[in-house]
Amino acid sequence: MTEPVISPASSSEADRAGSESGRWRPGRKALRRQMLDYVATGVSIVAGSVLLLVLVSILWTLLSRGLVGLSWATLTHRMGPPGSGGGLANAIVGSLLQTGLALLMAAPVGLMCGIYLSEYGRKGNHFASAVRFVADMLMSAPSILIGLFIYQLLVVPFGHFSGFSGAVALAVLALPLIVRTTEDMLRLVPTSMREAGAALGAARWRVILSLCLRSARKGVTTGILLALARMGGETAPLLFTSLGNQTMSTDMTRPMASLPIAIYQYAGASYEDWVQLAWTGALLVTFGVLLINITVRLSSRH
Amino acid sequence: MPSASMLSASLSGREPVQDVALSVRDLNFHYGTHHALHGISLDFPARCVTAMIGPSGCGKSTLLRVFNKIYALYPGQRATGEVMFDGRNILDDSINLDMLRSRIGMVFQKPTPFPMSIYDNIAFGVRLHEKLNRTEMDERVQDVLTRVALWNEVRDRLNAPATGLSGGQQQRLCIARSIATRPEVLLLDEPTSALDPISTARIEELLDELKEEFTIAIVTHNMQQAARCADRVAFFYLGRLVEVDTADRIFTNPREKQTQDYITGRFG
Repeated sequence: MTEPVISPASSSEADRAGSESGRWRPGRKALRRQMLDYVATGVSIVAGSVLLLVLVSILWTLLSRGLVGLSWATLTHRMGPPGSGGGLANAIVGSLLQTGLALLMAAPVGLMCGIYLSEYGRKGNHFASAVRFVADMLMSAPSILIGLFIYQLLVVPFGHFSGFSGAVALAVLALPLIVRTTEDMLRLVPTSMREAGAALGAARWRVILSLCLRSARKGVTTGILLALARMGGETAPLLFTSLGNQTMSTDMTRPMASLPIAIYQYAGASYEDWVQLAWTGALLVTFGVLLINITVRLSSRH
Repeated sequence: MPSASMLSASLSGREPVQDVALSVRDLNFHYGTHHALHGISLDFPARCVTAMIGPSGCGKSTLLRVFNKIYALYPGQRATGEVMFDGRNILDDSINLDMLRSRIGMVFQKPTPFPMSIYDNIAFGVRLHEKLNRTEMDERVQDVLTRVALWNEVRDRLNAPATGLSGGQQQRLCIARSIATRPEVLLLDEPTSALDPISTARIEELLDELKEEFTIAIVTHNMQQAARCADRVAFFYLGRLVEVDTADRIFTNPREKQTQDYITGRFG
């Protein structure tokens, strides 16, 4: 720059900054790092796509195979012999009854247990540590094991399968999920909230119910809904407990139909219409679960 | 220990103070095995702002948390000695904690709005101790919100969640919530350290009005704040009370060298 520049915009970039020194060019190491970065990004994207592809193809297969059989008759007719134009009504009702009852049993116990662990069972409490450990174990226990356990406990002594024992098996499955999410969500409530409540002269139970549980309610409801979704799709705990039933029954003391069991029974059958019903049942279960998951997502966003 | 007559004779020129709201004698505090407060003796004159200053870990917050026995939430924390309030030693096990906390309110460092509406935030504490009908409750809510200068800002959205307020508004709401149970003493634990300068100024103004009615004990890291709003200042160091005097005296002519070093920023 030999002459004074009046307007900086009039001089080009190179004029002002001087000529390039060569230190801008990446060396071998830098190039290698850059390449590695591209490769890692690429591999991650491929892995992500594989997962997405699996889910999309499952949904696609379900939709294309199941939607054909979805009709008013499927939803209103009970299961019947092949060729009789049976539906899934009794399985739908059975699933709703059993998961509903299971939720009624698991939610209050799970909620209170979670409250106990978070509010009364902090570090140093051996009983609480034991409960927490058992909940974690139960969460990873194979669900068929839970079915067998309830079979011994509620089916063998009474001599027959029942919808009630199915509901209990599902409740056992859901319990640890509800316990741990409730505890985790309550632990996220800051200590200052508990102190502020106590500082106003509120008793401990009131602080827990009116303040802690209230501020964690979104997370706690999410946990309960996710447990519900988990129960809705389980087959194994029901195999030895509610067994399944071809007829419409709302009697909890008798064997009871459910969608997962119906799918299990029909999918391997050699009758065309039964296989079709299995696909439709799978579609119903999947979209039921999907609906709950989407509800959870939407409600936790606001 | 400066007496009431010394206070009235001080340079502050403020009203002479007669009665004492809280009287601490030979107070010791332990966190498990850690001895946090050593033989504190200190009076809190009624309807005065007493500020507690000192470097982090000096025990000022610990002392504040003794007055409403909030430390009792945590096993292993214990206080011995005497804290006289309305004729009784509050350290006695026979003291009803809920009653004590309705008479000695506390505001924390971080605003802690409850997960409910602005109205219910105020009503929550009141309902614990009094049975008011709807009109009386409405009046109480309006009264305390007016006193913390929040009424005009929130009158149209009393049923909106309190978490939607700004930090400064939340803290004023917390003060309103504390005075709604009509306590005699208000404990403030660094109430402005999480707030911006404008919100801080508003809360300091508020303290000036509130002290007409309440005895205020405030813990602060901010010495300008102590100088601006306190009548009396107590300086703590390493769990001991070094000096207590009128604000003017502490900041212009402290007796102890440690106090002088701290307020001039030579340590702490």
